Amino acid sequence: MAKSDDGIRILQGLLVFGNVIIGMCGIALTAECIFFVSDPHGLYPLLEATENDDIYAAAWIGIFVGFALFALSILGIIGVIKANRTLLLVYLILMLITFAFEMASCITAATHRDFLTPNLFLKQMLERYKKSETDNNNDKWMTEGVTKTWDKLMLQNHCCGVRGPSDWQEYTSAFRLTYNDADFPWPHNCCVMDARGSPVNLDACKLGVPGYYNSNGCYDAISGPMNTHAWGVAWFGFAILCWTFCVLLGTMFYWSRIEY
Amino acid sequence: RPHSRARHPGARTMLPLLLLLLATARALEKLPYTPTLASPSLGGLTTTSTFVLEQPRCVFGQHSDAVIWLVVAIPEAVPNFNNSVGPGTPERAFQGFPAAAPAYMTLNTTLLNYPCPAPTGEITVLRVGSETSCARDDTKPTCNGPLPSPGPYRVKFLALEGAEPVAETAWSEPITLRTAQPFGSIAATGGGHSPGMIALTAILSILFAILLAGLVAMVVFWSSDTYSGSSTFSKPEAVTVRRYNTHHVYDQPAARL
Repeated sequence: MAKSDDGIRILQGLLVFGNVIIGMCGIALTAECIFFVSDPHGLYPLLEATENDDIYAAAWIGIFVGFALFALSILGIIGVIKANRTLLLVYLILMLITFAFEMASCITAATHRDFLTPNLFLKQMLERYKKSETDNNNDKWMTEGVTKTWDKLMLQNHCCGVRGPSDWQEYTSAFRLTYNDADFPWPHNCCVMDARGSPVNLDACKLGVPGYYNSNGCYDAISGPMNTHAWGVAWFGFAILCWTFCVLLGTMFYWSRIEY
Repeated sequence: RPHSRARHPGARTMLPLLLLLLATARALEKLPYTPTLASPSLGGLTTTSTFVLEQPRCVFGQHSDAVIWLVVAIPEAVPNFNNSVGPGTPERAFQGFPAAAPAYMTLNTTLLNYPCPAPTGEITVLRVGSETSCARDDTKPTCNGPLPSPGPYRVKFLALEGAEPVAETAWSEPITLRTAQPFGSIAATGGGHSPGMIALTAILSILFAILLAGLVAMVVFWSSDTYSGSSTFSKPEAVTVRRYNTHHVYDQPAARL
């Protein structure tokens, strides 16, 4: 009896420890997802215009799952210490539901990250940047979002187009319909700007003189934050779920060992 | 009749002299220079309606009074090109290019703007097609307007003194501009599934399945437990029956097991 008594005590200790870790990870997950949802890089309008912003949905789920994990871990600790079968059964069922939601969030984030390719952003930029005639309010909202985001991207990251300024030459675009090629081979935001926000040398920019225009593409500036976002939600969630799996198995075993 | 005989004494020698002058004036100097596109390091070397040429520095050295024009033509107009047709005529008007005017003349300047030698470090180029304001203005036939199609085009420089062509360069190689593809042709459908995502989905599904199975087993175990009524191990805080062996057998009221 003494041996199994010790064994039970060790199991209890392990389960309490496991639940503490789950609680802390829950808080971390909530904090991480709040950070992503706050969109510090201002890239959300680009996703909104693709009508596929599910990596944001995954982050929203992550916020609530993180909080639920924290609350349930406290319930779990109480249940383990009191060795109360009912409490532990409630804990297990609720944890399984939370597990399912977090699983959905991870899979969504990972799947939709694969959807965001350079061609997707290129097509969207050519279709919507500085589009002058919009069909309806929704179209207008998305167009304005894309235009503002690209203007900010090109100014802040000193880049032009998705792969480079040649994007504007290789393909027709909504921009080209309003702005002719001779005056605007690429948007003026691709020019190197002075302190007041106007091009240092507009003619040199139009000629494409190195040093007077941004010759690199903006795709890295877009994919970097999006990758961090998607992998942060997906893989951190996966790690939490693996740990939770072990704790839940341990809890089930412990539950079966408690005298009713 | 007043003009039947020469009035002035030296008129006989003057006439051949006049003819000689006329002949030399008509001689067109063919310079060995070929106009070329500027350095490929320029991002906008050719766009869909403009292109950038090197300036003809140190080419027209002897004709300091001439006005140097750029001639842009479609390749079909090159063999029959007439240097005497002046700029500004309908046959050479930009607005009629290329249908009514198979060649046009533009970017006129004096040799002062092409000093020789070219200073190092400066970019000396000519951008053909940069003036958009006069492209549709028929009163400005020498407009340097944007080119209407991807080409190809051939160019040369022509020096005119007054209305007389005095020097010309060779015709350039055909210059073709860029063609823009329609953006609808970009294939933006998804990038396929990365192996990481597949692994993640598979592993999580398996873990969830195991947990569900465990939960079901637990519930079945519990309900069978309550039916049979036997409990397996005691709760930690219940009083445990401790059995210890003592060699003192005198104090045993009831047999303890």
